[in-house]
Order: sequence, then structure tokens, then C-alpha cells
Amino acid sequence: MAAVVEVDRVTLRHPNAPAPVLRNTSVSVEDGEFVCVVGGSGVGKSTLLRAVAGLLPPEGGEVRVHAPPAANRRDRAVVFQDSRLLPWRRVAANVALGLKGLELDTGEAAERVAAALALTGLSDFADRWPHQLSGGQAQRVGIARALAVQPAILLMDEPFSAVDAITRQNLQDELERIWQVSGAAVVFVTHDIGEAVYLGDRVVVLSGTPAGVVADITIDVARPRRREDPALSALAESVAGWLHT
Amino acid sequence: MSSVAVPLRAAARRSSPATGRGWQGMRRPMLGIGGVLIFLILWKASHHFAWTGAGTMPDPFLLPETLWDEWTSGRLLPAIGSSLIHYVWGLGIGAALGAAIGFAAATNSVFEAGHAYLARLLRPIPPLAWVVFAIAWFQVSHAGAAFVIAIGVFWVNYFATYAAVRSVEPRYYELARAFGQGGWWQRSLTVTLPAAAPGMLSGFRTGVGQAWMALIAAELLGVPGMGQEMNSAAGVGAYEAVVIYMFAISGVYAICDFAFVRVENRVLQWRP
Repeated sequence: MAAVVEVDRVTLRHPNAPAPVLRNTSVSVEDGEFVCVVGGSGVGKSTLLRAVAGLLPPEGGEVRVHAPPAANRRDRAVVFQDSRLLPWRRVAANVALGLKGLELDTGEAAERVAAALALTGLSDFADRWPHQLSGGQAQRVGIARALAVQPAILLMDEPFSAVDAITRQNLQDELERIWQVSGAAVVFVTHDIGEAVYLGDRVVVLSGTPAGVVADITIDVARPRRREDPALSALAESVAGWLHT
Repeated sequence: MSSVAVPLRAAARRSSPATGRGWQGMRRPMLGIGGVLIFLILWKASHHFAWTGAGTMPDPFLLPETLWDEWTSGRLLPAIGSSLIHYVWGLGIGAALGAAIGFAAATNSVFEAGHAYLARLLRPIPPLAWVVFAIAWFQVSHAGAAFVIAIGVFWVNYFATYAAVRSVEPRYYELARAFGQGGWWQRSLTVTLPAAAPGMLSGFRTGVGQAWMALIAAELLGVPGMGQEMNSAAGVGAYEAVVIYMFAISGVYAICDFAFVRVENRVLQWRP
């Protein structure tokens, strides 16, 4: 197993902020691994994710991405907390967003879109406008859009925090299945400890001001997992303990 | 109270089509026609009793006859055609330049800073003040009239585009960057233009109306068209003919606006 992302002692500061939000933070993610990042609100989880996505240059340190260079895929793709669909594009065109500029064979873009929609169970929604979707469907379109560029790393910023509890559980299970099919590594930011231990191979806990990694806990529970599994509850308790350090 | 009563009444209306669908459906058009009739009666009365002075109020009852005269004498259609030539050119050029420069100013900080004082200096000049130069540069011609129209239309589109582009949500730009569409061109095509389209189009629609105002004023100076026909009719006291041209302007504007709204609805069909 090789690291696909190395966050090496990065310090991150929001533009115009007086102080950094994260200092000297290091995390590495193995190829195909599912890593959850938890922390209280304002601790810099999303900021860390934006830095890994290349959307925020670090003030100090370095983010290294080791994905084999390829002209027909992108090494990283982001799923945002708000689904962030372009309201003037139909679902299929939204999913195709990242394909423009990639070197794809004739017809491959359409195939990628169809495959991503099929994988997220949205094949019947290709011609819908975003405003015609439920919150859960919109979030699945966001996932399909990310999958279409066949990323080595899927970066997810609290993607299920705005949907109702039942939809959230369905989306979690679907995501686990999609992750296993796609082979991409996932960095999944959440404030929901239960979600983190249920989904993650590892849970990275951020805490402090400025924040840093206070714990990196391996979730050594075989999949498929059960939410009621006492082993997960015990791990969740230990994560919760670290959150308040 | 009323906030409850209105939806209830609306629901009742929908749920019982038998009880007076005919009257309810016809109510608005009937009232509208009634308003026009009252206006016509007042108009006729003011003509009959010469409220504005003898011979200054056109007789509404003579309008059909006057329309026939203007049509058969071959003045009306050529006048409309001539007006449309400088209308379309002025509107097209003014809107294209206004949108392009507004777009550039809103997306490029160097251009924005460089043009800021100039825009502030030129903006308050009324389009009609340019008539002097329109005549000096283009003589009394379609181009001169189009020039004056274009100036008014330019500013409307410039401000609408600038404001629309400035209010595009930054989160969409972040999205474009995250999916490899972060360059100026890609960003403009994937995010800025479509996001700003509603505001840009409503500015264009304002320009469609504004262009008629500038057009009539420009034609009063002698460029052939409906404004000039009005002017020459007024010169001989043919006020009925003036009114025919006023209504012709209204009619052509209504057609332009209708066509525009069709296009707008098509372009913006993504809106809920």
C-alpha cells in the first residue's frame, strides 16, 4: 500500500484571517483507503479538505498527491456539503462538468456520465433540472459528478449533513458500496462520530486552537458493518473522548 | 386575515369550476375592456367639448379611417420598416457592447479600475445629448439614429451585466476550480455567463423599451421612421395620424417584448 495523499505539516489560514486555523498538521491516506476526519465546528475540517483538493494553498508545509498522471481522469474530485449543482444544467450535464478538458475518446464522456448515474441509481433522472430533485438525490448527483472524472481520491465535505436521518443512512450504505466498486480513496469530513466510525477505515480527530491531529484511530471492524455493533460504539466513545482534548 | 382569506377563495375557485367559471374566467378581460371603454368615452368627451382647446384633441372615432389612410397612402409600413432598421442596429450594437464591457469590468480587476472614472464621467450624459455628434458624424441617417439608440441601450446593458456578474455566487467558482474549469474562459462559460444570464436578460429587456424612447427622439430630428411621420403630421395639425403612429409604436414594442419573453423563457427554462 502506498500513500495517495500526504498532508505534510501544513499550516492553513483562511484568506484575511488573523490566525491559522490548522497548524503543523500531517495526515496520510493510503491508496483506496476510507479516512474520516472529525472535529468540532470551526476546527478546520473543511479547510483541510479544501487544501487537499488544491482549492486553498497552504501557508506552510505541503500537500502531496501521488496519483499516476493520466489525461483521461482527474486525481481529485470533491463532493460538497451543499450539493452545489449548477441549476442551469440538467443532471447529466452536471455530472459531465469535470469531463471537459479531459482527453476522452468519442462517446466516452457520455458513457462515463451514464455509468456514474447508474452507479448512484440516478439513471432515470438524467434529464431533470436540479430544482426538481430532493436533497438526497441532489447529493447523489454530486457524488456521480465526482465519480465521472474517475478520481484516485474522492474528497467529501460533510456530504450527508443536510439530509434527513433515513436518507443519510441509505446514502452512507450506498457510498460504501460505490467506494468499494470505484477503488478510489475517500477523505470524508463529518461532525457525526457515528457516521465516521461506521464508514471509515480510520478516523482522524482534529482538535485545538489552532487545530491539529489529536488522534488517528483505526476502525478494525470487518465490512459489511452493522450500526448497532458494540465494537463501533466503543470506538465512537473513544473518538468522542479525543474530541474534547 | 386577508392572508388566509385569499388562498381559501382561490382554492374554492379551483375546486368548483361549475359555479361561475365563465364569469370568473372572463372577469379580468371584461374589466380590462371596460377600462378601455371609459378611457375612450373620456377622450371623445374631451374632443367634443374641446377641453384642451379647439382643434388640439384628436377624435378617437376618426382613428380607423386615419389608419386606413396611412396604410393605403403607403406611409405607415415604410415608416415602421425604417424605424426597425435603426432600432435593430442600435439595440444590437448597444446591447452587445454594453454586455461585453460590463462583463469585462466585472471579471477583470485591471479593466474595472481602468474604466471606473471614465464610466462615471460618461454615464450621466443623456443619450440625446449625443445627437449633435450623431449628426456631425453620421449626418441624418440610419446610422446616426442607431448611434443615439445604441448609447442609451449600452448603459442599461452595461449596468445590468456588471451587477449580474458581480452577484454570481463564489461557491460556483470554487466548484469550477475543483472540477478543472478554473481558467477565465472555462469559468466564464461554465459559471459566469449562465449564472448572470437572468440579470443580463432583464437588462436587455429594459433596453428593448428604452431603445424606442431614444428612437422616437432621434427621428424627430428627421431620420425617416415613425417619429418623423409623427412630426410631419403634427406640423399640419393631423393629430389623428400622430395617434396612429403612437399606437404603431406601442404595437411594435408589444411584439418585440412578446418575442423577447418567449426567447427568455426558453433560455432560462432551468429556473423553478
